[in-house]
Amino acid sequence: MKARTETFWFWLFAGPAVVGFLIFAFIPMLWSLYLSLCRYDVIHPPEFIGLSNYFYLLRNDPAFWPSVKVTAVFALVNVPASLVSALAVAILLNQKVFLQGAFRTVFFLPSILPAAASTAVFVFIFDPDNGLLNSLLAGVGITGPAWLTSSEWALPTLILISLWGFGSAMLIFLGSLQGISQELNEAAAIDGAGTWSRFRNVTLPQISPVIFFNLVMGVIGALKVFDLAFAFGAAQGKEPGGPARATLFYVLNLYDKGFNYFHMGLASAMAWLLFIVVVALTVFNFWAAKKWVHYNN
Amino acid sequence: MDIGDAFVRSSKRGKPLQTVSRAHSRIARYGNSHALHGIDPFWKGAMILRMSLPWRSLLLYSLPLLAAAGFWHAAFPIAREDQDSTKTQITWLAQISSERDAQLQLVKDFERENPDISVRVLWVPPNQYQVKLKTLLAAGLVPDVFNTGDIWLAYMLPFLKDLTEFTERDADDMDLEDFYPDVRNEMFKGGKCFYVPVSMNVSLLYYNEKLFEDRGVEPPTADWTWSDYIDAGQKLTGMNAEDRQVWGSTITGGWWGEWLILVRQAGGEIFSEDGRRCLLDTPEAIEGLTFYADKMLSQKISPPAGRGPSTGFASGLYAMSLGGHASSWITYNQVPGLDWNVQVLPAGPAGREGGEVALAAYGMASTSKHPEAAWRFIKFLTSPDAMERTGGTGLPVRQSVAAKTLLAPERKSHPRDAGIVYEQLKFSRTIPRLPDFIEVTMQIIQPEIDLLLEGRQSPEEAARRATASANAFLDTLAVETKGDSR
Repeated sequence: MKARTETFWFWLFAGPAVVGFLIFAFIPMLWSLYLSLCRYDVIHPPEFIGLSNYFYLLRNDPAFWPSVKVTAVFALVNVPASLVSALAVAILLNQKVFLQGAFRTVFFLPSILPAAASTAVFVFIFDPDNGLLNSLLAGVGITGPAWLTSSEWALPTLILISLWGFGSAMLIFLGSLQGISQELNEAAAIDGAGTWSRFRNVTLPQISPVIFFNLVMGVIGALKVFDLAFAFGAAQGKEPGGPARATLFYVLNLYDKGFNYFHMGLASAMAWLLFIVVVALTVFNFWAAKKWVHYNN
Repeated sequence: MDIGDAFVRSSKRGKPLQTVSRAHSRIARYGNSHALHGIDPFWKGAMILRMSLPWRSLLLYSLPLLAAAGFWHAAFPIAREDQDSTKTQITWLAQISSERDAQLQLVKDFERENPDISVRVLWVPPNQYQVKLKTLLAAGLVPDVFNTGDIWLAYMLPFLKDLTEFTERDADDMDLEDFYPDVRNEMFKGGKCFYVPVSMNVSLLYYNEKLFEDRGVEPPTADWTWSDYIDAGQKLTGMNAEDRQVWGSTITGGWWGEWLILVRQAGGEIFSEDGRRCLLDTPEAIEGLTFYADKMLSQKISPPAGRGPSTGFASGLYAMSLGGHASSWITYNQVPGLDWNVQVLPAGPAGREGGEVALAAYGMASTSKHPEAAWRFIKFLTSPDAMERTGGTGLPVRQSVAAKTLLAPERKSHPRDAGIVYEQLKFSRTIPRLPDFIEVTMQIIQPEIDLLLEGRQSPEEAARRATASANAFLDTLAVETKGDSR
């Protein structure tokens, strides 16, 4: 009787979420899996074409591999750089200094600004001819590069811009730093450990679960970058993804195919390939975590 | 401790709701309803409400249902009938622009002249127009009247009503002869009419008269060739009196606006007649691309890729601009001291022909339930009076409208030689009628052109790579085309 009652209450409360998941996530996912095997332009009925969309993407699509490369480079640079920046700033903000709260607010603020707004400001700063940065460089006799409009510089510029928003990871690090055991630190200090040694051997192992969390979320976030790249192109009044596909991120490419040009089959295939990669990377991260993440238990 | 006591104690500490919650769970477990005796009636009522679990579950389930109902209602705005059942309601998917007020006034005037018809206007930002239209097409909710034109014609063809019968029937009423002959030819291309043009853009050679005068260079003439253009560009490139860099010409990057003209003027084509093959790797097309890149890379009359004043020709630091767009005229005329004019395009190796004419037009949905009403509205929107009132961002396609506006003798604003527009029109063509033209050009060819302008690949390499990728696309994904794509 008790089990039946518990089941009743479970479904009563979990029901809306489960129904929502089924209608708005699971069934569309299955539908997109089917569409990835179809030619579908939204207007005409889907036409089953087997694995042709996957073959086209992997063999013929001139935008697929460049978008994979852009996203991979971004993830490889942005994720470690964001983690290091967030941890370094969190350590600084964990010090008991005057106006500590104000500093924390200032460093967190960028991460609550919409990417579209902050990117528009950065586009003004990095404008090759009228931008603030190149004007400053010109003042000291340096001709700055075409940050936004050169295919060699556009992605590094975008990575620089993206580092501005490490506030969320920083906040989590800060919480974690405040929770570490000071007794261990003091014991290590008594044993003669220096600052770096205490950080490396005491602090880092204790916050390793949080580093792992930020790593996993960072990797997933980096693989899904869209708004930054979209705003980067739109703020310059240009087609997002350029020049020469230098900022064509994977999800931007997917969006273009699906919602600008209505190749829903291709876009679905891209979504499933991304899903497979994200799952594989996350599984790998969990496997690797066994070697470096330390839990108290 | 009795649950009633717990509530009273807790409420004294100012936490009535937490206690109600705790009380409720205990009541639910033990059915200890007598515990409510002696409690304030307000909190007692609140407790009873909290205990009424069916209400809570109802609330939980009703919220998503309400949201779903809202979405359902919002999803079918076009299907809703006009409140006034004596009127025929048509829907117009209109682009938001600076002419919005004028267009709204047109709708009011139309409704006054046609009391049996009401027009429902759905406003969409220009950059989302095609996505919105396609989404409505997919949902089977096509508006009766929508913007189209030569660029979108091929894609929209399956959903556009053939207006040939209407135009033949009302030829006198709508004064078809008033449209410029070249516009009329495009309108009836293939013997059928699918849209009625309202304005156009024509590729031109724009030039800054003051910069020419300052350097003592003769302004462009109608017999200029590519070499005249380069010669003048080289003479005009240099520092001005304020020690600012002046460039002989702009170079249009990011879209086909300039390089397609040059490819055509060199005798090349971007696609085959049936639209199934990309022809950008032919020697003629490569010659056009070479000229385009050389302006910047070897002749140096244009700034390096991605450089130069971001406001372009309006900055007053470019002597010429090849291609251009009439929608910029308003901006140019708002820049103090910008003395500019236009000339026909310089002739290429294969002649002067190859400039682009782009027609903005109105079309009717093939599924419109009220074709007569929609046709009356299209006729009204493309009447000389309506064009005169809303033609701020395009060039007139009717001779009577041009005579009163662009070619009016009393007109004071630039360009002085506006009649050149209609000279150039004779040498202009629309872009190929290929449903995937924009995708192939912007997503497949343009990135190779970007690399060409950066000097990272030769014109031959860019043409070869673009052609191979475009043909792979056309073989695999292209929407089926019928007939002549040009």
